[in-house]
Amino acid sequence: MTALILPPGAGADTAERSSPVPWHGMLWVTWRQQRATLVSVPVVLAAAAVLLVIAGVRVRADYGNLILRGDFNNGDWAFAQAMDFLMQVAPVLIGIFAGAPVLARELESGTFRYAWTQGLRRERWVIAKLALLGAFSAVLAGVFGEVFAWFFQPFISAGDTSVTNGLVFDTRPVVFGAWALAAFMIAACSGMLLRRTLPAMAVTLGVYLGLSLLTGSFLRGHYPVSGFWPAQSFECAWLVVLSAALIVVTARLARRRAA
Amino acid sequence: MTVLTLHARYEADADRLHPVPWQRMIWVTWRQHRAAFISVMAVLAAAAAFEVAEGLKIRHDYAALAACRPLSSASCQALNSVFNSSDWHVANTVDIVMQVVPLLIGMFAGASVLARDLETGTFRFAWTQGIGRERWTIAKLVFFGVPVAVAAAALGELNAWFMAPILPQENMTVMTATVFDTRGIAFPAWTLTAFMIGAFLGMLLRRILPAMAVTMGVYAALAVVTWLFLRPNYPIGGFWPAQLLEGAWLVVLSVALTAATVWLARRRAA
Repeated sequence: MTALILPPGAGADTAERSSPVPWHGMLWVTWRQQRATLVSVPVVLAAAAVLLVIAGVRVRADYGNLILRGDFNNGDWAFAQAMDFLMQVAPVLIGIFAGAPVLARELESGTFRYAWTQGLRRERWVIAKLALLGAFSAVLAGVFGEVFAWFFQPFISAGDTSVTNGLVFDTRPVVFGAWALAAFMIAACSGMLLRRTLPAMAVTLGVYLGLSLLTGSFLRGHYPVSGFWPAQSFECAWLVVLSAALIVVTARLARRRAA
Repeated sequence: MTVLTLHARYEADADRLHPVPWQRMIWVTWRQHRAAFISVMAVLAAAAAFEVAEGLKIRHDYAALAACRPLSSASCQALNSVFNSSDWHVANTVDIVMQVVPLLIGMFAGASVLARDLETGTFRFAWTQGIGRERWTIAKLVFFGVPVAVAAAALGELNAWFMAPILPQENMTVMTATVFDTRGIAFPAWTLTAFMIGAFLGMLLRRILPAMAVTMGVYAALAVVTWLFLRPNYPIGGFWPAQLLEGAWLVVLSVALTAATVWLARRRAA
């Protein structure tokens, strides 16, 4: 009878009030649960960064040498465009592989029943996990964006393209990190909503594609600010706000979900 | 005596049931994979609908721009900006998406088609029901992979129509790397190959998520090698000969991957 009267999570509330916030423990559990992703995503990005550094050194040699300028304008430029293309999809790939399973795997396998009834209020769990992993993805992506910007610099110096070109603008570190953050949150929220990893990954791809298409073809042209850095800051700001809103929505969904 | 009689009857039954007709296997394949199959087809249909709508708009914008006189007037400049900026941005995005469509099919449909049974353990049941694991593996790969490749061929044709007004304006031809492999025979062949890479890796790794990630890496590597090294060195020139050659070696690769997947299934203890 008592169990029926108590709203879900009420017992957890009491337990939580009596104990301090165990951020340390949450960090450790998050690491244990997500370590496969937390290791493989940085490893893949590090490998790509090494490739970019090697290619960047070669590009600079070709660019500085008049005899090799032909290579710079043909082979190197084709490679740079392919890399730029990969950069367009990198945030959403990080998002689907790191973000979609975070909550969906627990919901899919049923382990959420255990995880959400361990004395920590489930909203706190969700917020902590998403904030930690999202920030990690964003910082990682930002650093990688920095490496890509260095690799790409000679092509901008040569006038092949410019930083205000949509396909270059969103590979710049600040905005690139913000897109990775948003992709992660879209994926995590889809995972919470759909409760299954694979569909959540597919839906994230669609939503991210729609959002980036809308941004590139419409929103960016209507920013109230102009210039590279103001536009970068503005895009970063609204993506961070969007990500925060998605965390809140996801936490709300977790609260409503019966354990 | 009874045992022998029973045995004979069993043999007779077995003769009647072996081999289980392929159409029954189609039904089971459909029941197991209908969510993934319908999703893939729905996404392809949505992409096709978008390309039709956007293709008509681009044609309209292009006709308006071509008819506009004098070219230096403000209204013509506005039309020019619509065609060369926003239409081109959309077309470029469509082209980028088309590059990854085969890969996405390989990741989402291919990697899970066999790995789900292996991940959840249901393969123990599926493989011991008299049909045999080799036939099951072949059935799933063919009945799922081939219709998806056919749908991809239709989308590739539509995409060729969609890109037609864009190509001359943006200094692209059908031989441009990103245009060549999103049309004709190459596009469905890449789709089939991606699906088989996903299925093979799903069988090898027995887990969906790692299989998806590795599929991505393998497919990207194959695409880059093809762009940079194989395609420039094809022994024949011209669009259709090159398409035929690329289609042929990709189909051979897909068949080889199917064979390798069946071989892995045979070796795996149920």
